[in-house]
Amino acid sequence: MKYQNLIISMLLILFLFQIAFSQDAKSIVQKANELLRSKSSYSELTMEVIKEDWSREFEMKVWALEPDYALVLIIAPASDKGTVTLKRKNQVWNWLPSIRKEIKIPPSMMLQSWMGSDFTNDDLVRQSSIVEDYNHTLIGEEKFSGYDCYKIQLDPKPDAGVVWGKILSWITKEGYMELKAEYYDEDDYLVKSMIGGNIRQMGGRTIPTHWEMIPEDKPGQKTVMDYKTIEFNAKIKETFFSKQNMKRVR
Amino acid sequence: MYLSLSWRNIWRNKKRTLIAAASVFFAVITAIIMRSAQHGSYAYMIDSSAKLYSGYLQIQGQGYWENRSMDHSINPSEKDYGFIKTTPHVTSVTPRLEGFALVSYGPATKVAQVIGTDPKLEMQMTGLENKLVKGRFLDPESDGVLVAEGLATMLKLQIGDSLVLFGQGYHGQVAAAIYPVIGFVKMPFQELNNGIVFLNLTTAQMFFQAVDRITSIAVMIENPTYLDDTIKHLKQLDNYAIMRWDEMMPDLKQNIQLDNASGIIMLIILYIVITFGVFGTVMMMVSERYKEFGILVSVGMRKWRLMIVTTIESIFVAFIGVIAGMIASFPVVYYLHLHPIRFSGEGTQMFDSLGIEPIFNFSTDPGIFITQAFVVLIIALGAAIYPLLFIRKLKPVEALHH
Repeated sequence: MKYQNLIISMLLILFLFQIAFSQDAKSIVQKANELLRSKSSYSELTMEVIKEDWSREFEMKVWALEPDYALVLIIAPASDKGTVTLKRKNQVWNWLPSIRKEIKIPPSMMLQSWMGSDFTNDDLVRQSSIVEDYNHTLIGEEKFSGYDCYKIQLDPKPDAGVVWGKILSWITKEGYMELKAEYYDEDDYLVKSMIGGNIRQMGGRTIPTHWEMIPEDKPGQKTVMDYKTIEFNAKIKETFFSKQNMKRVR
Repeated sequence: MYLSLSWRNIWRNKKRTLIAAASVFFAVITAIIMRSAQHGSYAYMIDSSAKLYSGYLQIQGQGYWENRSMDHSINPSEKDYGFIKTTPHVTSVTPRLEGFALVSYGPATKVAQVIGTDPKLEMQMTGLENKLVKGRFLDPESDGVLVAEGLATMLKLQIGDSLVLFGQGYHGQVAAAIYPVIGFVKMPFQELNNGIVFLNLTTAQMFFQAVDRITSIAVMIENPTYLDDTIKHLKQLDNYAIMRWDEMMPDLKQNIQLDNASGIIMLIILYIVITFGVFGTVMMMVSERYKEFGILVSVGMRKWRLMIVTTIESIFVAFIGVIAGMIASFPVVYYLHLHPIRFSGEGTQMFDSLGIEPIFNFSTDPGIFITQAFVVLIIALGAAIYPLLFIRKLKPVEALHH
């Protein structure tokens, strides 16, 4: 009798510990997620698309209103200047000033690359949340580029609309910055990695301002983004993200 | 002695000899014309398909053909161009940049193959300017586009309208532009006629954001018989892929192989008919000479000598027929070669699907004359075995009372 109670209480403690531990992992991911997001934001950045024998740099402005709206305006190079990508809910529109036409990206083109980069159109509109759609497990602690990090495994919940089999995420213990994420497919093959760096004070927060997206199946290829300014909680209204505004926005 | 004896023998009865020679003669003519028509139409199909667009061979970036991705485009140096142009037997060299794009005018949008090419070199190779049905041809100075007639009809385009092109360029960049329509071209087969847009090479390079790059160099050579030599020479450029016409147009090659197989069956039937014709003539002639052979053997001529004489006779007759046939068929084939037969109706379908005019062309390849004459000669000589067997079994007594 005595022993039984003891065993039960021990199991209970273990179970509670498990919950506490997993909630801890979830809150880490949540904090990391919140660090880079706000209800609304305005940012300026450069994106460099690097292929084995070729590269190209874009400069762009991004307005975003979480979670449904985003507008990207290309301001350089000259040949693409004025090109706008608008996300409204799960639809994507392009405005191409060179042909004065707005084009709705059809579902068949959603998985095509955006502006030749390693991002797809689908990446822009994907609704899944790394907080809500995954179960989080703290699987260890590692040093990554000089920072002590939590290593967290994210497994998609069964009913979540997620393309990844799992995600491994490295989040700094101090400041909750996600410095690296590895995306695996259902067969546990590494598909792409996202690496953050150049940690600076920007928009009132300390964040990585240099991002690299590295696809594993295309050697020598990556997309590099450098933030120049970020304004968190910028004053942007929903009406800003209209098809009319695509043609006007500067 | 045998020779002169045989020679005199065959001219003893001119009518008989001429009938025998004539059967061989017509056999040779029929076989040659039939084969020449087959070979001629294949060569014509290959040649016009090559001239239509692809060229006899193309130099491309390695890996381009598998997925036609502009990412495998090339930027050949002047030196490489020079090397290709000076390769023996090469007659024209046309660099092109090809890709796909949406073309749109007003509310209508279609997918089209967008081809950037050098107007002058393209004219030299494919005679594109001759296919112009309205407007004017590309010129290096303007960024106007030529639209295939069928596509223009679908989009309800007029000359001078602005055509919107939108697609993916080099390394997935956005390719979007508006160009004025300067002309319509009629492409010979529907698939092309409903989906091709021609641009200047430089305009296309701007459009696809692929400055100085091309996807292929189409190469024409004097004659497809030099294809292997030319490829061997071009293989010295080791950082490109070289595609032959039959690799680029496997359906054309298969069509030809299929047609050739049925052609060979027809030819075999023809040979059988010829064999019986020649054999019949020989049989008649032998039975006509039954009595003569009988007398010769009775007066002491050795059967084997008689056999030699008749064999030589057969050879003479066969040769007369074959050579006369070759000589006589040449002007016929040559005339048909210069004036190919144009036909209509059901038969045009296959040509249509290959995108070439329904013309029956004739080949003047000497190989055809020689092989067909040779085959008929063998048949004629084969038939000459019959008199030998006949003489061997000959009973002079019976023959004399025939």
